[in-house]
Amino acid sequence: MAHILVIDDDVLLRDVVTQMLEKDNHYVEAACDGDEGLRMFRKNTPDIVITDIIMPGTEGLEIIKEMVRLVDDLPIVAMSGGGRHSSYTNNLKIAKALGARAMLPKPFTRTELFEAITVAMG
Amino acid sequence: MDALKETTEKEYCKILQQVVFADDPDNREIHLADAFELGRNSVSQLMMPPDELVSIHHAAVLRLSEEHPELTLGEVAGLLTLPLIEISMSYGMSFREQVEQRYQDIVDRRLQQANKLEAVGTLAAGISHDFNNILGSIIGYAELIDDELPEGSSGKKNIKHLLTASMRARDLVARMLAFARQGENCGMVVVDAVSEIREALDLVNVTEKEFTISLQTGIAPASVMAKPGQVQQIVMNLCINAVDAMAQSGEIRVYVERATASQCGYDGAASGLCVMVSDRGHGMTPEMQERIFDPFFTTKEPGKGTGLGLSIVHSLVAELGGELTVESRTSGDNCGSDFRFILPLVSDEQQGTGCRRSCSRLAAAQCMGR
Repeated sequence: MAHILVIDDDVLLRDVVTQMLEKDNHYVEAACDGDEGLRMFRKNTPDIVITDIIMPGTEGLEIIKEMVRLVDDLPIVAMSGGGRHSSYTNNLKIAKALGARAMLPKPFTRTELFEAITVAMG
Repeated sequence: MDALKETTEKEYCKILQQVVFADDPDNREIHLADAFELGRNSVSQLMMPPDELVSIHHAAVLRLSEEHPELTLGEVAGLLTLPLIEISMSYGMSFREQVEQRYQDIVDRRLQQANKLEAVGTLAAGISHDFNNILGSIIGYAELIDDELPEGSSGKKNIKHLLTASMRARDLVARMLAFARQGENCGMVVVDAVSEIREALDLVNVTEKEFTISLQTGIAPASVMAKPGQVQQIVMNLCINAVDAMAQSGEIRVYVERATASQCGYDGAASGLCVMVSDRGHGMTPEMQERIFDPFFTTKEPGKGTGLGLSIVHSLVAELGGELTVESRTSGDNCGSDFRFILPLVSDEQQGTGCRRSCSRLAAAQCMGR
């Protein structure tokens, strides 16, 4: 069982990812935006972070940068559904450059979610 | 008149063939423009009445469908609701005005098409984030419900259908995004512009023996990002334009050098390639220079040009992130035109894959300037 922090501003997607992970017996904390995610992260450092990239407030890319700065070798999965100004491929490439270990383009299946977690865990 | 009619019919049939078998819509429109021009010449210059053109059109369609039994008569004619018929049968405007109107319609259609493509791209990029989130929830919840349902139940079967439909929607969004991005640097590689320019000049030398073409280059190789053949096509079209601007003979000078800092308008880019094609032809007035890159604008005699050569050059240079300018003089010893384009040079560090030479003589076949 791992402690997983899920950060996404989309309430349904956040809920569905949480349910999938809980069904797999993980302990899940969920944050509705980047600021809340960072607060939770600082309070109780998780084993894995799964974060959206485009969010209101502190964006996913900034969160990844900050978390990697705070904790070395942190398994981070970056999710993205694309953006208005750049493709999700670009967003995910940037996320990887900043330290995310696995990329998860939205929409994804449960199998793809767990594959990404496995990649992030190394 | 019979001989004229026969010649026109043959020529028209040839153009029809090019229209029908054009490999892409752009080429079809170019050949269609040739058909218009032929019609315009025939009516306005050769005094051929419009109904003669209608019969030529019918005869050409018949001949073409006989030569190509795989196509029905309806398919051939259907591909070409050619203005010649419509024009001669409608009322209100003069024949010539209507032909001009059809030219404009082609330009408008192209613009509309470009706008449509841009709109699809904007829409796809705009909705993809939200749409992918929505689809993510649908797929995720469907999978969670699927876990709860007993094997073989109708509910389980229905959830499978829901998931299949969701995956189709996912593919559709991916395809729309791919479509929206298809023009972005697609197929661009590092090419040596100097090699492509040399090949273009070799080809022009072969076809235009009365003209002397000189090349002065202060840089070689010159690596730019382009699709193979694009630089060659730019230079060929400029040279053909130069040949047409001069009477029977003359010299075309092509200069290739590193652009000065002030010529490079790119953000922070330190280096650019400057290519100038210079002729000593009749030159262009400022009014002509204003319109010289407009599609279908031509100063050539009817039948000599489609008016697309320089607009193609303009759009190609723009596609490569460059700039095209012209300076022209209609009198004095220095009479003639200088077309200058600047392309961003690729630095050594940017060249991951090394230089690739331009592709053969393909651009010659694609050269659509005349």
